[in-house]
Amino acid sequence: MVTAAPISEPTTKEIPENDFFLTPSCILGAINPGTEVLISRIYQLLGLRWKAAGDRRESECTCCTGILSHGDIMSMESTLLVVARLWSIAAELGLENITTACVTSFAIHTECLQMYEHEPDLAQRVDRWLQEACSRRLRIPRHVVHASDIVYRYRYALARSMRHRLVEKKTGRPLRIVDHVGCHYAKVFPEKAVGGSDRCDVLTGMIRSWGGETVDYPERRHCCGMGFRQCMIRPNRGYTMACVLKKLESMEPWEPDAILTNCPGCNVLLDKEQWAVRQMTGTNYNIPTLSYAELAGLLLGWNPYDVVGIQAHTVPVEPLLDKIGIPYDKSEEWLPAGNMEVT
Amino acid sequence: MNKENADTELDATCELLSKDHKELSHIPDEEIVTAYERIRDQRDSACGGHTYPNIRRLYGTPLEREKDRRQVRSWAAKFRTEMQEWYEMARSQPCTWWLKNHLVARHAFNSCIACGVCTAQCPAAQYYKDYNPRIIVDVVLSGDEEQLVELLKSEILWYCGQCGSCKPKCSRENNLMGLISSLRFLAQLKGYHLCSIRGRQQYAARHLWGGNLWNRACSLYFRNVDAENHPDFGPRYAKYHSEIDQQMTRLGASPDATGQFGGRKVPSETLDELRACVAWGGTLALWNQLEEDAFEDAQKMGVSIDEYYDRVRSEG
Repeated sequence: MVTAAPISEPTTKEIPENDFFLTPSCILGAINPGTEVLISRIYQLLGLRWKAAGDRRESECTCCTGILSHGDIMSMESTLLVVARLWSIAAELGLENITTACVTSFAIHTECLQMYEHEPDLAQRVDRWLQEACSRRLRIPRHVVHASDIVYRYRYALARSMRHRLVEKKTGRPLRIVDHVGCHYAKVFPEKAVGGSDRCDVLTGMIRSWGGETVDYPERRHCCGMGFRQCMIRPNRGYTMACVLKKLESMEPWEPDAILTNCPGCNVLLDKEQWAVRQMTGTNYNIPTLSYAELAGLLLGWNPYDVVGIQAHTVPVEPLLDKIGIPYDKSEEWLPAGNMEVT
Repeated sequence: MNKENADTELDATCELLSKDHKELSHIPDEEIVTAYERIRDQRDSACGGHTYPNIRRLYGTPLEREKDRRQVRSWAAKFRTEMQEWYEMARSQPCTWWLKNHLVARHAFNSCIACGVCTAQCPAAQYYKDYNPRIIVDVVLSGDEEQLVELLKSEILWYCGQCGSCKPKCSRENNLMGLISSLRFLAQLKGYHLCSIRGRQQYAARHLWGGNLWNRACSLYFRNVDAENHPDFGPRYAKYHSEIDQQMTRLGASPDATGQFGGRKVPSETLDELRACVAWGGTLALWNQLEEDAFEDAQKMGVSIDEYYDRVRSEG
């Protein structure tokens, strides 16, 4: 077994304390709904003031256009307007900070902020168009952060509420957790990521403070291969699988107990493509993959099936629960009406 | 209208769900839009009126695509926004003009010292042997119209995974991800995307992500990610997805229902605001162009537009 190299990086990012407009994630909502709802549960537990929609029928939250923008079918001006509308709803609610559940949304909102800084008169034009389009005004938020930033900020407070730690119950061994930070969190605007792009600490900071051990494996910074049009248009999906395989091969010598992610797409693909990798290569990596919200939820003692939703995962999470000593009732996994056998 | 008559009328409307583009083409715009909305907005009274059981019947259908192309055409004609006119005008300008004038392109690229660090970091360059981001940079730097047109017609334009791995390493802070996306947008405006298999996939992308945004205010609808289209996700996922509505509800999401999280149905007032933002930003110029090009391409191939849609999303 290879010896683990510890990672420690201080954070310099300014993360606001409270008052968050939470924008949901299209990918989480579609494929991993547990994580999205868990973010709101964690905010509740921390006693934060937050909302995910306005009070009027026209003030509900929408997509930020991220997938369409990176899928090349949405103009930047449309994206600016859709995001400006979301900022306007936040202002309507008296919330000055945007917190996104999705890392691509984080990059999209941040790109909009940067575009206003770089382009003279753009804010004025967008404000005029927004008034014409939906009678709203452009209101620039004080901060744009990702939900994992909030969990990072409150990681010690959460640790105090946790019933379990990232430690093997039988032996007392710290569990070895490899992180995979979403590219659109750390690479697009590295100065906005906790610890920057190369030494990003947003997830490793959580792992350390919750009792686990981190590893700087060689392909730690490699993309998961989500690629928008690469994973979502079926003939292009080989690219995604190749990227996932590269990551798994790179982390495998460290015998990780789990993979931790903060990006909705990475969480889905690093987990689910393990099955395809097994079919293609014959190697069963079988590494449970969790989002930071799922891991926090499990350590807080929330029900693995009813609240965290580990049944949505392709790689079973129960072996990790056994190591930590988190109780679960396997009969709760599937709903009574379900009768499809899983092999 | 009593409940029985209303149900009969809804049944008649639902017959449109089995029709293809050719059969729908004789029905007036307003009738198509009204029928679609009537099907979409029918509530399930058994669940407290919070769920909308017909949304699942609409996504990905010829009816939804036909409704969308008519509605987008009508919104584009109604608003004639400044940005829509700009994108329509940009279509006939040289590619070199676009690089100097497009909002994203003109901020994406500063200068290049040809260090190759973008390629060293690029996952797509590691996967596609005939691709690296410096090919794109070299063509852009050349300022040569012919080379730019050739690039816009190529397969390699579509290989970038938009991850941004190149960005933090570039000493000139170039945004190649943004530059490539801007070039792809131009390729579609000019119809050059039809020259490549991956470019043609954009018609499927427009109706997948564009249809979701336009009709459900999200870019990915939970029923898109079904087990049939994702055999790579394995049998456990198939099992989970077979219980998707109940599992989502169990976790606090809102599949085809009112709510705050995954799968929620947003009110039509919110959809109207969203659509107006999309329209004012000029995107409808592209969507109309994609539609026009797809019809022409389908005709050349001798297939219907519905067959064309199926072909481009499975080709490659």
